[in-house]
Amino acid sequence: MIVDRRLLPHLDTRLLVTLVVLTLFGLATIYSVTWDFRNNRPGSEFWTQVYALPVAFAALIACMLVDYRTLTRQSLLIYAAVVLALVYVHFFGATRMGAKRWIALGGFSLQPSEFARLAVALTLAMFYGERGRSAQSMGELLVGAALVGVPFILIFKQPDFGTSATLLAVFLGVAYLAGMRVRWLATAAVVLALLSPIIWRYGLHDYQKARVESFLNPSKDPKGAGYQQIQAAVTVGSGGLMGKGFRQGTQGAYQFLPVAHNDFVFSVLAEEQGFVGVLVALGLYLFVIVRSLEAAKLARDRTGALLVTAIISGFTLQVLYNITMSAGLAPVKGLTLPLMSYGGSSLVATLAGFGLILNVRMRRFTN
Amino acid sequence: MQTPGSYEDRRGFEIRLAVLVTVTAVCFAALAVSFWILQVAEHDKYKEMADNNFLRTIPLRAPRGVLFDRDGKVLVENKSSFTIAVIRERSRNVNGAIARVAAATGVEEARLQEVMQRHRRDPMFAPIPVIEHASFAQVAAVMARGLELPEVVVQQVPTRAYPADDLGAHLFGYVSEIQESQLDRPEFSGMQSGAIVGQAGLEKSYNTRLMGTDGDRNVVVNSVGREIEELNEDPPTDGQRLQLTIDIDLQRALEDAYRAGNMAGAAVFMNPKTGEILAMTSQPAFDPNAFANGIDRSTWAKLNNDPLLPLQDRLIQGKYQPGSAFKVVVTTAALSEGLITPDFKVTCPGYATFYGHTFQCDKHEAHGTLNLRQALAESCNVYFYTVGNMLTIDQIHEYAEKLGLTGKTGIDLPNEVESLVPSTEWKMKTTGEKWYPGETISVAIGQGQVSVTPISLATMITTVANGGTVVTPHVVKAYDDGSGWQSLEPPKPRSIFTFPPGVLQPLRDGLFMAVNGEGTAHAARIEGRDIAGKTGTAQVISKEGKAAAQGKGIDLRDNSWFEFFAPVGDAEISGAVFVEHGGYGAAAAVPVAKYVLATYFAKKDGKPLPTIESSGLLPPTPPKPTTPAATAATGTGRAGGPPR
Repeated sequence: MIVDRRLLPHLDTRLLVTLVVLTLFGLATIYSVTWDFRNNRPGSEFWTQVYALPVAFAALIACMLVDYRTLTRQSLLIYAAVVLALVYVHFFGATRMGAKRWIALGGFSLQPSEFARLAVALTLAMFYGERGRSAQSMGELLVGAALVGVPFILIFKQPDFGTSATLLAVFLGVAYLAGMRVRWLATAAVVLALLSPIIWRYGLHDYQKARVESFLNPSKDPKGAGYQQIQAAVTVGSGGLMGKGFRQGTQGAYQFLPVAHNDFVFSVLAEEQGFVGVLVALGLYLFVIVRSLEAAKLARDRTGALLVTAIISGFTLQVLYNITMSAGLAPVKGLTLPLMSYGGSSLVATLAGFGLILNVRMRRFTN
Repeated sequence: MQTPGSYEDRRGFEIRLAVLVTVTAVCFAALAVSFWILQVAEHDKYKEMADNNFLRTIPLRAPRGVLFDRDGKVLVENKSSFTIAVIRERSRNVNGAIARVAAATGVEEARLQEVMQRHRRDPMFAPIPVIEHASFAQVAAVMARGLELPEVVVQQVPTRAYPADDLGAHLFGYVSEIQESQLDRPEFSGMQSGAIVGQAGLEKSYNTRLMGTDGDRNVVVNSVGREIEELNEDPPTDGQRLQLTIDIDLQRALEDAYRAGNMAGAAVFMNPKTGEILAMTSQPAFDPNAFANGIDRSTWAKLNNDPLLPLQDRLIQGKYQPGSAFKVVVTTAALSEGLITPDFKVTCPGYATFYGHTFQCDKHEAHGTLNLRQALAESCNVYFYTVGNMLTIDQIHEYAEKLGLTGKTGIDLPNEVESLVPSTEWKMKTTGEKWYPGETISVAIGQGQVSVTPISLATMITTVANGGTVVTPHVVKAYDDGSGWQSLEPPKPRSIFTFPPGVLQPLRDGLFMAVNGEGTAHAARIEGRDIAGKTGTAQVISKEGKAAAQGKGIDLRDNSWFEFFAPVGDAEISGAVFVEHGGYGAAAAVPVAKYVLATYFAKKDGKPLPTIESSGLLPPTPPKPTTPAATAATGTGRAGGPPR
């Protein structure tokens, strides 16, 4: 597809540059934390991430070039494809660390749940973007809920509580913007609170219960379930104001903090770059979010605004939760830090989402 | 600037988006505050936790200094002892492994499990020492089963190796793990629990030199304790090697002599010119190796409860009445004070009466008329009662002090006790009573309140031997801290006594005659060696008490002494031999001294050393091992020369 050259001046280069900087931050941290001491060279995860980066930015550009309205119009097709993939994973997926999340594709593997958020965002934007529709009516709210519910349950069952929770954030973000009454949200919260004992009893896996329990009292089992949480706080706290310096970290590099290149990449950043580095990274993430919400505000139609809000809601929840967890302040969930954590699928899906956000902003004046 | 397009409810969208921006910003601000608290406010706490995670300090124990004799022969060295340890991390089935170790080594499985239980909180990668000081057979057994016991490792632990046969036990002392209560003491400052320190003998007095400095390795470990890199290694500094003044041949001869006669006691042989100790012993002794390997309770209890007190170093910690050996002091005092001349004569009827009390002479049939030289040689008590009665107790004390018999000799070994020669001041201070002249009569023959260590008696006779220098006896002559041997500055003489003219010659004559004339010590005579000496026989109980204690199994026989030096004019060896309950000085102590002196001279001349069989110390009847206590109970006498 040939892109209209007139669109290029409206490309949000500030957001794009910030995204590049954040992915490079992540890459550097992965380089540091996965260092192979035996062979004195960067770990294989570093190279995987290096190869994933151009692919992810290609996805970003691709998602930016196709008019988002074309995509929302085809959203049900995309939605169906993703749900099918999730169903496939449910039956034939590759199991790792006790969870069925991956489709093995030759040399690498794909995590469809990472793309479910995009499909849901496009579908919800299409649905509530229609003239005269809003989440103010209970019926239309429930339709949206049903659209989110199918992939939500499939992902929740993998089990992947973290990713399914981001779908919930996507829905809530869209519904709020589409005019859902705050009163309902409050009611839902109360109902959830009342149902929590039942959810606790039947809805959660033992490992999920263990995580919550260990969060509430990490010192009860410091070598077991509470270990990661304690070590996360140690990792962050030991960084101090200025940090230990690049490749000078000890907590992640010597594996006291497990999966440091993945879920706990921010802990390592905090360890090596200190509070100063944390402030810079937090500032960049906040800039990305605010800038995206600005794109929603500037969008030329409801669909654009809803699409941007849907995507950035999931992103924001994931960022906030992961960073809180990386300081040992939230129960440990398998939730990566978008843009920085190791993981090709996540990176591709995240940047594809930002491709859509840039897409909306770029086309705010076109008809 | 183009304006954005307009759509249904755009205003509402803008408001709700502004709310989202605000909520997000608040969340980020809260995160920033949280990180501030963790990273800045509580940084120190987490920094320490992180350091504890990955830094391990592995101590490298410094080998203790090796001890050599004066000819460079090794006396005490270090050997490796073996510890069999289990690393749980390497095991799939720890209990099975313990059972196999128990089967291979013949140690009870329950005992091994007990050790495992004690260490259950140790990290999984840490070796748990299940069998310490393992025998070679045990080590071989587990090594041979290496394939079925991947979790078992054999560690080498440096251990002190002392000579067999308890040789030099009290001299060397022993080492053990530092006690909790010792950690606060200044001499052990900077030491950590688990450190091996000297607890007795020169291991204790030279502990600082012998210990060296432990080193350590600082390593980085990962979360399972595997070493990733070594940050630095601070190698241990070996303990200083010490060259002793001891001559191992004399030491062996001395101990052989005591053992041949199955005797308890103490003896020291030294160089009268320097105070260097050539041989020293206290009998019975103990095996210092038992301590080096971590002494077990029953061995410790046995040593502690033994009525013969094997742990006591009689040489410097035992105090005894010297008997006639003290007459050297009385002679020096009387001659120096001009109270008598060497020609002063006394007629001995076999007893004498002073202050209404009758004192016996050793020789009941009377010595007849004697001058000083004869009185010394024949050890006539009546002569010395008479001379003693001319002296005051303070004069006797004064000359005992001048000759180096009082107080501590200052030997470089721990826990020496003070020798006592009474004075009026001492009696007033300890009992609040004045001294009665009658008490001086007993003191004049080394009985009564006189109570001295064998080392101080040896120092006293050494002062006579070298003509007035009160040497400080010592056992170490040189050290090597890794930069070659350097002599240790010898300790300064305690004092110098200038014998007034006309004192030394008659005294030495008398001592020479005791050995080489018709004297009490003629059994010590070695042709051409000009040995001078004085025997001593000290009652351990009064005659009345002896009668009362008869048959109670207590050894009541007299203590036997011999003090000596040779050759008489220019002495090169001097010393004292003390045999507990040895009977007459001539009977037990003299043959011991003679055998060691014979060894000394033979070695000096490069001749074959005498054998213990030639010493006459072995029992005449087929050798039957009996303890001195048992001997006492049966009342049989000791082998030796004829009692005089």
